[in-house]
Amino acid sequence: MSSRSLMPAEPVLRYPAESDLTQQTGAVESAAAPLCLRSVSKRWRKDQRRVLDRLDLALEPGTATWVGGRNGVGKTTMLRIASGLIEPDGGRAEVWGVSASENRARYQRLVSFLPAGDRGLYARLSVRHQLEFWARIALVPHTRFRQTVGEAIDKFDLGELSGRRVDRLSMGQRQRLRIAMTFLDHPEVVLLDEPLTSLDVEGAALLHAAVDEVLARDGAILWCSPGGEHLDRQFDSRWTLERGRLVAA
Amino acid sequence: MNDAVTTGGAFVAVMRRDLRIYLSYRTRLVSQLLTSLLSLTLFYYVSRLVHVSGFGSHDAYFGFVVVGISLISVIYSCFSIPDLVRQELMVGTFDRLLLSPFGAIRSVLAMALFPMLYAFVMAGLTLGLGCLVFGLHLHSATAPLSVPAMALVLLAFLPFGVLFAALTVVVKQGSVGTTWVIALLSIVGGLYFPVTLLPHWVQTTAKLQPFTAATDVLRHLLVDTPLNTSMSAALLKLAAFAAVLLPLSLLALTSALRFGQRRGTIIEY
Repeated sequence: MSSRSLMPAEPVLRYPAESDLTQQTGAVESAAAPLCLRSVSKRWRKDQRRVLDRLDLALEPGTATWVGGRNGVGKTTMLRIASGLIEPDGGRAEVWGVSASENRARYQRLVSFLPAGDRGLYARLSVRHQLEFWARIALVPHTRFRQTVGEAIDKFDLGELSGRRVDRLSMGQRQRLRIAMTFLDHPEVVLLDEPLTSLDVEGAALLHAAVDEVLARDGAILWCSPGGEHLDRQFDSRWTLERGRLVAA
Repeated sequence: MNDAVTTGGAFVAVMRRDLRIYLSYRTRLVSQLLTSLLSLTLFYYVSRLVHVSGFGSHDAYFGFVVVGISLISVIYSCFSIPDLVRQELMVGTFDRLLLSPFGAIRSVLAMALFPMLYAFVMAGLTLGLGCLVFGLHLHSATAPLSVPAMALVLLAFLPFGVLFAALTVVVKQGSVGTTWVIALLSIVGGLYFPVTLLPHWVQTTAKLQPFTAATDVLRHLLVDTPLNTSMSAALLKLAAFAAVLLPLSLLALTSALRFGQRRGTIIEY
């Protein structure tokens, strides 16, 4: 567990020097957090400035962190790097001190990512078959496979929709299914990119309940959306992404 | 042991997913059976017209070409992997597969299972229709051996599909190159006519690639066509292609994924 606390006034945290990271594995382990972005940089084109510029962020166990910022400022890029989907040009993303390139299987077991939008579903599969498929791909053990899928259906109120094909769902219902897939196998770190999109009041309440459950078991949440004023929940820390870095919101 | 069962379950889940999606299009099986029937009809009447040296009868040529078109449909299933990867990229499910504990490499391999199994079944149905409707005579003593031989053929051609899938991850185009590779194989591999009819230098090319060996083996097992080389040499050639190219193709796919992740283009489609 990390001994550092994430204070809104100090978004840029102190970490061991880069040379220490490669040589003092034990030191890094002791300083590890559920999710840690260390001096992460990303530039999309050589003639453009960095979208992320030596960005630092550590999520503490049992905390929810909100990151806002204008459209195109780099929030989704930050989440994609944190999820292990893309690699930074510099710095590293770690889950409990381990990067995705060092141990991808473990990384992906611990981290779950809800991308923005309505993609990532098989249109012609039913809700239940979709959840069963992703539970298998998540390598949920056979012994708790049925239970895991059943819990997801109950928790996100998908019972009535379970036999319906995805292309016959409303946008809000699809979003509820996408959220159910994100929380399917009790991830430790959940990355949410504009999760309230298309959700009604009941859907939002189900999302908040799932977030609370992650926090209750000492997991961590990173929630990104352009504006945070309307969000009906308390965050342990709130940042705004500006010019590639996080500033206290 | 439990891990192996769970991983095996994930492979089966990909296959079941593809079967469910396939069955959701209710007329697809009927239309594909009709296509096979029309294709058989076409070649049946073409076989009545042509006299090719080396074939004792019209029926011998018909058997030759029916096995050829059945085989090419099975081999084509390996080349469908890039299109499947492209579809996953477009609907945003490839990201999820990449971010799953099952991982992208195993997912891509699993994606090949249903098309290969389906092509296997369709090839069997095509041969069955050939027998029932057009009087094709299969060599019953050796025909069952065509099943393991076909499995070896699939292993020999799977690397080509994986290589093109790697290319798709980088250039984002599904069928780039695969169509002309299939067309080229059809010509130099002796799909519709014996390779002995081709110019001498093309015959040399035909001997180098695995399709000729595959057609040779399967035609011998199914319709008792004489082998151009020994059975063991042909099988060894197919096994060698699988053993050498499969690890190389997986390496290429791994590199393509890393390239996409480093450049950030893995999210593009």
